[in-house]
Amino acid sequence: MRSDAEIPFFFGPGGDLFGMFHATAQPARQAVLMCPPLGQDLIRCHRVYRQLAQSLAASGVAVLRFDYHGTGDSAGDSAEVDWDRCVADTLVAAAELRSRAGVERPVAFGARLGGSIALSASAKTRFAEVIAWDPVTDGAAYVAVLDTMQASLREDANRFIRPRTHADVAAQWLGFDVGDRLREQLARLRIGIVQVPTLWIDSQQALQDRQRVAAISPPVPWNDMRKVETAILSPALIHAVSGRLKETAYA
Amino acid sequence: MREEAHRFGRARHLVGIAGVPGAARGETGVIVLNAGLVHRIGPFRLHVELTRQINAAGYPTLRFDLSTLGDSAATGGGQTRTQQVCADLDDAMNLLKARAGCEKFILVGLCSGAQNAHIVAATDPRVAGAVFLDGYAYPTLGHKLRHYLPRIADPGRWARFLRRRPSGTAATESAPTPEPVFAVAAAPREEVIADFNGMVERGTKLYFVYSGGISDQFNHERQFRECFGKVMSHPAVTTRYLAETDHTYILTGDRARLLDGIGGWLTRNFPPAAAGRHA
Repeated sequence: MRSDAEIPFFFGPGGDLFGMFHATAQPARQAVLMCPPLGQDLIRCHRVYRQLAQSLAASGVAVLRFDYHGTGDSAGDSAEVDWDRCVADTLVAAAELRSRAGVERPVAFGARLGGSIALSASAKTRFAEVIAWDPVTDGAAYVAVLDTMQASLREDANRFIRPRTHADVAAQWLGFDVGDRLREQLARLRIGIVQVPTLWIDSQQALQDRQRVAAISPPVPWNDMRKVETAILSPALIHAVSGRLKETAYA
Repeated sequence: MREEAHRFGRARHLVGIAGVPGAARGETGVIVLNAGLVHRIGPFRLHVELTRQINAAGYPTLRFDLSTLGDSAATGGGQTRTQQVCADLDDAMNLLKARAGCEKFILVGLCSGAQNAHIVAATDPRVAGAVFLDGYAYPTLGHKLRHYLPRIADPGRWARFLRRRPSGTAATESAPTPEPVFAVAAAPREEVIADFNGMVERGTKLYFVYSGGISDQFNHERQFRECFGKVMSHPAVTTRYLAETDHTYILTGDRARLLDGIGGWLTRNFPPAAAGRHA
């Protein structure tokens, strides 16, 4: 693996979005935009995103990983994360990838909310396909899960020597400030029928009503409080996505 | 202030983000090391918030990934982990010197990051200060008394114990133990104390912040002295025990108080106007 083929940089109109471009040794035969999830899932997925990006780049697929405004290394505070801005940043990142890789219609990949963002962005830009790994399709249910996990944090004896106050845990989800606007945006999120070709990668047996589902196991413990700081690693995911990119010649 | 993304190092194998204030060059720089396996943004983005707050106070910063962590690669040089950490920090200091003219450095590390910061602070004269968050800790007699006495004196605990005894299934009834997030393998205590003495004798300023999240190892402000002896009373040493917080500062209010504490310690010990001129 040539580490100097992985290029960290800032891009976007204000030069404030962080990206990591995985170049290919030869002209890229395809390109993948990796849309990260939000919150703690972003941190938990960092390693598997990098592993997948390296695997794809080694097979001739250029990859751009990036962080939305208010996340990761990009500018902005966590409290500023905004759904519409995430979708807009995805469009900017797609344009950056097209320019760097010389590929007009990249594939978009995303885990959890990253998959949901990629699907939302697909209505505004031309992706050859979206590969969505356990995407959030019912935002209201997702908000309820996060609220429950955050409430349980207050009395988490594995973390605190005594319970914290309600005020201590308010307006946050698992380590990150969350604004009212993002909460409302997520509560309204509903991923219904999508127009873009989509491969749904399902570790939760939650997407059986969709077409073109690739089931993988074991189930990813996205919502397990005991593993909230444990990295998500999934050889099955890397195998499924790499296999998909190998088998398909996109128009 | 601007942030710059860098690939750097002796094998161009390291990735980091330098924060360079617009002020004059020649300042003391602050370098933040990985906490456990979390990439350079830190647990819950702690390192991003920390470096930006420190940048706003006028200090150049670098948050980066050590070899094999985050986005950084291995060098393949056959070094021990200690040699690798020292070489990576040498690369990091050289980068911040090139970008902002820094000659002296403050290292900040949480858990394994504190351990790595310790290794370098003990040997590299360019390190003028270090912030150890939940670094080395050793249970002491005081720790055991503070841990066990309240439990022995708790009638409710005895009642629960006696209720469980006949079935003999206490272990299986209890909640599963969470997987450890980070772990610091303890170096011999006498060695660690000798290192601290060496650091303060060279003029290195040390800030210890320990949390309630490691109460199985450390559970009171007094334990700094119990663990490490009189060096903890040296004027170059500042200690703070945050009983209510967890190990990785998952609550944003706790994180803000931690950052304010580090910022205050930094400006008291390395005033921005005089930064870079410390012996």
